[in-house]
Amino acid sequence: MAMRRIAPDSLLELAIATLRDELVPALPADKRYAAAMLVNALEISRREIASDVDQPMWKLLDEYYDDGDGTPKKLAADIRSGIVGESTRPGVGQLLLDILESELAITNPKFLAGLG
Amino acid sequence: MTTTLEDSATRTALAGAIARSIGAAGVTITAATKLAGGAVQENWRLDVTVEGGPRTGAHTWVVRTDANARIPLSLDRETEAKVLVAAHAAGVKVAEPIAIAGADITLAKPCVVQNWIQGSAQARRIVRDPQLPEYGPALACELANELARIHAIAPPSQELAALPLPLLPPARAEIARLRAALTKAGDPRPALEYILYWLDQHAPPARPLTLVHGDFRTGNYMVRDGRLTGILDWEFAHWGDPDEDIGWLTARCWRFGNDALETGGIATLATFLDAYTSASGRHIHPEAIRYWQIMAAAKWATIAVLQGDRFRLRGEARLELALTGLMPAEMEHDALIDILAWGRAPKGGPKWQ
Repeated sequence: MAMRRIAPDSLLELAIATLRDELVPALPADKRYAAAMLVNALEISRREIASDVDQPMWKLLDEYYDDGDGTPKKLAADIRSGIVGESTRPGVGQLLLDILESELAITNPKFLAGLG
Repeated sequence: MTTTLEDSATRTALAGAIARSIGAAGVTITAATKLAGGAVQENWRLDVTVEGGPRTGAHTWVVRTDANARIPLSLDRETEAKVLVAAHAAGVKVAEPIAIAGADITLAKPCVVQNWIQGSAQARRIVRDPQLPEYGPALACELANELARIHAIAPPSQELAALPLPLLPPARAEIARLRAALTKAGDPRPALEYILYWLDQHAPPARPLTLVHGDFRTGNYMVRDGRLTGILDWEFAHWGDPDEDIGWLTARCWRFGNDALETGGIATLATFLDAYTSASGRHIHPEAIRYWQIMAAAKWATIAVLQGDRFRLRGEARLELALTGLMPAEMEHDALIDILAWGRAPKGGPKWQ
């Protein structure tokens, strides 16, 4: 008989729900902020497990640099020195915005939702 | 790790140092309570009894010490205390500085002792207060008056000789400070570098320097019954462009969800600017606030990177620091949206002339 494993994101989802719905309401007021941070950290981890947050950044690096030469650190340095900018890479600002939105979908989806 | 103020011997030593500083025969600390918040520094409430000298009697004070790790953009406590003294002397609504204790004290870290002021500084409580529509505009006018007083302090100042004069025009000096901090950071942020490059390319011309609070926002002032009781958190004070403080106060990241109320989520921009212009006599360039709001987002993003590094690189295992380290994308997003919108405008970018 095949084993039925419980996926890590499902387990985290259940742990978060238990923490948020059963434990947090029972905590004294001065502990709820720490508990809310804990729920937030677990939710970020769950979303990160279920996605490939770095994919848009690597796609941009593959486009701008020879195979394997591009890293976020090099891109940051090249933008600072003006090697990469709108004059050399038109549309780079919009691409960076797209990357931020994929990052925010993991770290704080409510932020994007709040922008309307 | 907590500070040694939990230790009775250290409390006694601190009491002795305060007594010497204020000319008292003796100071007894009857209670010391660590206050919530303060990722950059630690704040303690002190209940004290003073014997002899001009402050004889029972008092409640606050002692502020450096936290275990300072981020490179903030002042040390001794310099911050000098700023507090200058601001208090200029009539700014700030908790009276009582004593400054530095290397001569047995505390592991320098600290400043201030009078206790009543009120709450909890930003979310203020912006969600159902009574805010009644007092928000008046509170914004009080903030404008205080900021005008702060900006009336200008170099040269013998009392503030410890504050370095920027070698570059203020915006470029700020960009240089942020870039220097990011160079050593553990999380490369291409978007933040793009924002700083844009800020550098569009920097306003140099103007007369003033004292800049550096962290003048909702959450860093105390409110009681809808009235301003004090301006807090002077650790980012520096000589700079006064518009920097206005950009910081009105940046989206410091409106705590009340986006329509640009002045820190409590009042409209026009309400604040009318009062500030009237109190300071300064003309505000219409594009300056927008420029400095983008700078504010870049600065807060940089601070968030540095706070994350305290966990990432320095091993301070605190969830608050790790979560703050995940926040830069929010401020970068705010700034990039503004920059790209400005670039698409018919004449694109700020025009300073």
